[in-house]
Amino acid sequence: MKTISAQDGLGPALKEQPRVSQKTARGRWLVYTLAILGGLVLVSWPLLLNDIFFTHVATLVLLYCIGAAGLHLILRTGHVSMGHAAFMGIGAYTSVVTMMKLAWPYPLALATGALLAALLALALGPIILRVRGVYFVLVTFTLGEVVRLVFVNWVPVTGGSNGIFQVPPPFPLFLSNLAYYYLALVMAALCVGLVGRIVTSEVGRVLDAIGESERLAQSTGVPVLRFKVLAFVIGCTLVGIQGSLQAHFIRYISPVSFAFSESLNFVVMNVVGGMNSLVGAMIGALFIVPLPEFLRGWVEYQHIFYGIILILVMAFMPSGLAGLLSRAAAALSMRRRGDDA
Amino acid sequence: MLSPTLVAQTVVNGVAISAVYILVALGFTLIFGIMRTVNFAHGEFAMLGGFALFILYGTLKLDFFIALPLAALVVATGSLVFERLVFRPFYQKELQGMIATLGLSVALQYSAMIPFGPQDKSVPSAFTSLVELHGLTFASDRLAVLAIAAVVLLAFYLFMRFTKMGLAMRAAAQDPEIAEAQGIDSRRVYQSAFFLATLMAALAGGLIGQVYSLSPFMGTTPLVKAFTVVILGGLGSIPGAAAGGLLLGMGETFLKTFYGAAPADFASFGAIVLLLIWRPQGLFGRGEV
Amino acid sequence: MSALLRVDRLSKQFGGLKAVNDISFHAEEGEIVGIVGPNGAGKTTVINLVSGVYKPDKGTVTFRGQVVTGMPPHSLVRRGLVRTFQAAVVYRESSVRENALRGAFAKLYPGFWNTLLNTKKARAMRADAEQAADELLEWLGMTAVANVKAGSLPYGYQKTLGMIVALLASPKLIMLDEPAAGLSPEEADHVRDVIRRVNHSGVTVVVVDHNMRFMSGLCHRLVAMHHGAELAEGTPEAVLKDPRVIEAYLGRGFEGVETL
Repeated sequence: MKTISAQDGLGPALKEQPRVSQKTARGRWLVYTLAILGGLVLVSWPLLLNDIFFTHVATLVLLYCIGAAGLHLILRTGHVSMGHAAFMGIGAYTSVVTMMKLAWPYPLALATGALLAALLALALGPIILRVRGVYFVLVTFTLGEVVRLVFVNWVPVTGGSNGIFQVPPPFPLFLSNLAYYYLALVMAALCVGLVGRIVTSEVGRVLDAIGESERLAQSTGVPVLRFKVLAFVIGCTLVGIQGSLQAHFIRYISPVSFAFSESLNFVVMNVVGGMNSLVGAMIGALFIVPLPEFLRGWVEYQHIFYGIILILVMAFMPSGLAGLLSRAAAALSMRRRGDDA
Repeated sequence: MLSPTLVAQTVVNGVAISAVYILVALGFTLIFGIMRTVNFAHGEFAMLGGFALFILYGTLKLDFFIALPLAALVVATGSLVFERLVFRPFYQKELQGMIATLGLSVALQYSAMIPFGPQDKSVPSAFTSLVELHGLTFASDRLAVLAIAAVVLLAFYLFMRFTKMGLAMRAAAQDPEIAEAQGIDSRRVYQSAFFLATLMAALAGGLIGQVYSLSPFMGTTPLVKAFTVVILGGLGSIPGAAAGGLLLGMGETFLKTFYGAAPADFASFGAIVLLLIWRPQGLFGRGEV
Repeated sequence: MSALLRVDRLSKQFGGLKAVNDISFHAEEGEIVGIVGPNGAGKTTVINLVSGVYKPDKGTVTFRGQVVTGMPPHSLVRRGLVRTFQAAVVYRESSVRENALRGAFAKLYPGFWNTLLNTKKARAMRADAEQAADELLEWLGMTAVANVKAGSLPYGYQKTLGMIVALLASPKLIMLDEPAAGLSPEEADHVRDVIRRVNHSGVTVVVVDHNMRFMSGLCHRLVAMHHGAELAEGTPEAVLKDPRVIEAYLGRGFEGVETL
């Protein structure tokens, strides 16, 4: 049977259009080496530098990587959640309250916080994930507001607007900044690792398909809503875990910490860092989290600057910093190999 | 106590706040319907309107009925700069436009903090008397808000229905491509829609300032209300914004008066969730969810 | 008479518009059945109803002996009933090969935990899916462009890719929505060839289109639709000579004229 040749018709497409990049064995070697080096650096630098401030900021960056990675998973399915901080708050308040009022040990408190975040996501997900685009943004925004109002109004449990002071550390040993850094490092590695594994697996392929075209994915037999809920639940649980870890690190929580601006932060991290890759979420966290810490003296100007940065990034760098880096890397590697397209 | 006065006052308050919500929501839905941009900075235009009124009426002591429209005009005209710089690059690009307006929102809030400071400011009340009608007492400021908002909404309706530009806007909101193919100048339509939306938001901000106090962050509440209204009524639908605004305003006011603020807010969210299950595109939405 | 697909008195109304009005037809295994009609006749709605995208107001759909009316699309795909889209719907930002692999979801997905832990089952299924995808790309001549972004392919090839994606779900019956739409006559002939080959490989085909010439050269049987209702059914020659069909599609005064 003669194979229908498409060569003629596709000639132009072959010549001009961009090929999707192939992973080379050499490229993989490079990534592994960098990863190991990076890991070594991450483990050793706080001991070498021994600066409380930097260690504190770095711990926060690591914790935010968890929530940002969680949002990244949700973004992959094409849904922009503006209520991410609500689930962070649920994880935080649950963990704090069970530990302080019920005297539960921290691991149980953390697990309960994560579980409650997961349950809420599981309950609401199948309803709100039916809508896309702007509607989903509006709904999650409203959800975030409502959850915040619960935190403000449920005074006997949450302490209302005043918040909760003197939150105990997970264990006395974690009063040390350094110790918390390593806790955060381990948890971030696990959580980000989980998201990384999902994203590079067949599950990730399905999520990407859904993000690119729900209609087409559905026609190939994908139970679209089920997968979207899966991504949503995992994403919200992760930020719930961050909430708990962060609450016992800062040792003070209040409803303000989980308001819309915090949800916005997560979105901004992903967008500025680059929405197309998990690395982008990490880069975004690295860029966004330290900003307020370093600009403490000029609160108003810092925020104005932040707002303008958002506008500029959207106008000139829509694929974020990660997009910039990957284009630079591609340009470099092409020059080295001498492209033979 | 279910006295007739209380019920009547609640109705007036409800309609007044509904009218203000509708003012804000209409502008928001117009910008989304025509330019497909979620204007996260919409509440800030209301805030700027409130502060403009503070300057014109509170500080410069102009007559209220001059200061209010002037404040709105000033804000709307000044905002055309933002239209050019922040909105125009992102028309028809939903996600990017959304993030850009988020950036604008933050920048505006903190820019307002510099001259005005974080404390709440109050605008002197233009209407302090009590009005008696049929043996029922009403606060004149609520009545004034209601009356002014109603006039503006009527003007908006007449504009959209009977002017060429209004027709062009409605066409563009329904289908931007076809509208352009029909010869409608999209840039002028966008600018006009933006001006109109901002005008109404700024006016609403001034009216809000008559009843509540001002702060650089006061824009968040009208924004959330606008969101709720358009979810209820359907994004991009003008009648939807009116219906949604009325529903939200009345429902909220009654719940707040008789049960307190928190149940009112939860009820809003509950209504949204129910609506999403039953009719995701809102009461009047276009069904393209 | 056990038809592979049987559609019985299907109806769907949108607001005041009866998009599909009391349609019945069937497809025997191995057939190519065509549904013709001008634009707006309700043909795409029929596909949407059968494939589970819409729930019908009335009527039943029976597939492989089971009543499947109103089931969600992914259940139907699992049972072997797959559809394509009128416009060339592909994953525009992904490579051709990636598109194909995504189409093989039914084959490729071994379950969440298997996938995450990369078990033997997961690896075996992935190898199967990759093989099936590569074979199908080869069969339809798309191997050369396997790594090209789908969105940058010429339109005709995007439509073929759409069909590849659908075929990788291993359908017993495939519903094609206007496969010739937007194509030049040469490209349409190519597509007709492909459909015949797909049919010869054992897949029953239901094609929907308004291009009479294309359909009469391809289908074993035709169902003519007009304004959501069925007009005539039979062999292409019989249907196209049917005076009701001629009057509906060409208007009065054309009876007796030889059709295409």
